[in-house]
Amino acid sequence: MSESTKVVIVPCSGIGKTYGTVSREAAYEVIEDLCPETSQMVALSMLVLGDVNARAAVANSTAITIDGCKLACATKMVQESGGHVAQEFAVLDVYRRNRKLKPKGIAELNEGGQQLAHALAEEVSAVIDDLQGEEDA
Amino acid sequence: MTDYLEYTLDKFTFKVATDCSYTPEGVWAKADGGQVIVGVSDFFQQRNGDVAFAEVWEVGTTVSVDDEFANIETIKVDVELPCPVSGKITAVNETLELEAEVINQDPYGAGWIVMIEAADWATDQAKLMTPEVYYEHMKVQAQEEAES
Repeated sequence: MSESTKVVIVPCSGIGKTYGTVSREAAYEVIEDLCPETSQMVALSMLVLGDVNARAAVANSTAITIDGCKLACATKMVQESGGHVAQEFAVLDVYRRNRKLKPKGIAELNEGGQQLAHALAEEVSAVIDDLQGEEDA
Repeated sequence: MTDYLEYTLDKFTFKVATDCSYTPEGVWAKADGGQVIVGVSDFFQQRNGDVAFAEVWEVGTTVSVDDEFANIETIKVDVELPCPVSGKITAVNETLELEAEVINQDPYGAGWIVMIEAADWATDQAKLMTPEVYYEHMKVQAQEEAES
């Protein structure tokens, strides 16, 4: 699959924030393990900086955003970059659905945080599968 | 209609409702008919971040001033809320069970937490901060937070 047809994942760039770390861990699991052939990640910071390649990737592909807080920077930045957000995820919403998985830690997530990231990654990968199914139909 | 004192620091604006009395922690209380409604201030909700869950003590629970009456879990911290008034909890905001974020969205309105039948509201209120005093207290807290 060419890079331009892969679903773009844009996680939160909140460094030093537990929920931001959960969003990035989930994004890495999606692109590296769950959907390596059908997804790619674009760093939010590159969009903020106006990087030409990052903006082109977003503008030419379907995007899934993962926000760490209600400011929803990832979603807003993809939209401002001309991208189409097929699905927005918020870490807090996923935590509300998985209350036992309380995330802690920043550089290194606790067990709950790692499991929450995994649960989030599975939700994201399910959306990617749906999007790919629609494209193939 | 509620009036507010407003304090802006950097990109943040904090509102203090002028019809409430406050604890130093940012728990507000105001009389409404025979009940006292209790919630948290705008500064409290902005400082502590998005609320994930709110566990509130059951209707019928007897509370005293400074007793814990609810536990708020946000993306940053777990906070035990001290009660600003003695009495019996007569109502709990049921919206909080599924939509705890209403505390962030409307802290002085739809985000109220409990109603309490006060044992002696006048005495308890006299020990709370007026909106003007809480406003000054909050400004100091906000400035310290910004500098930390």
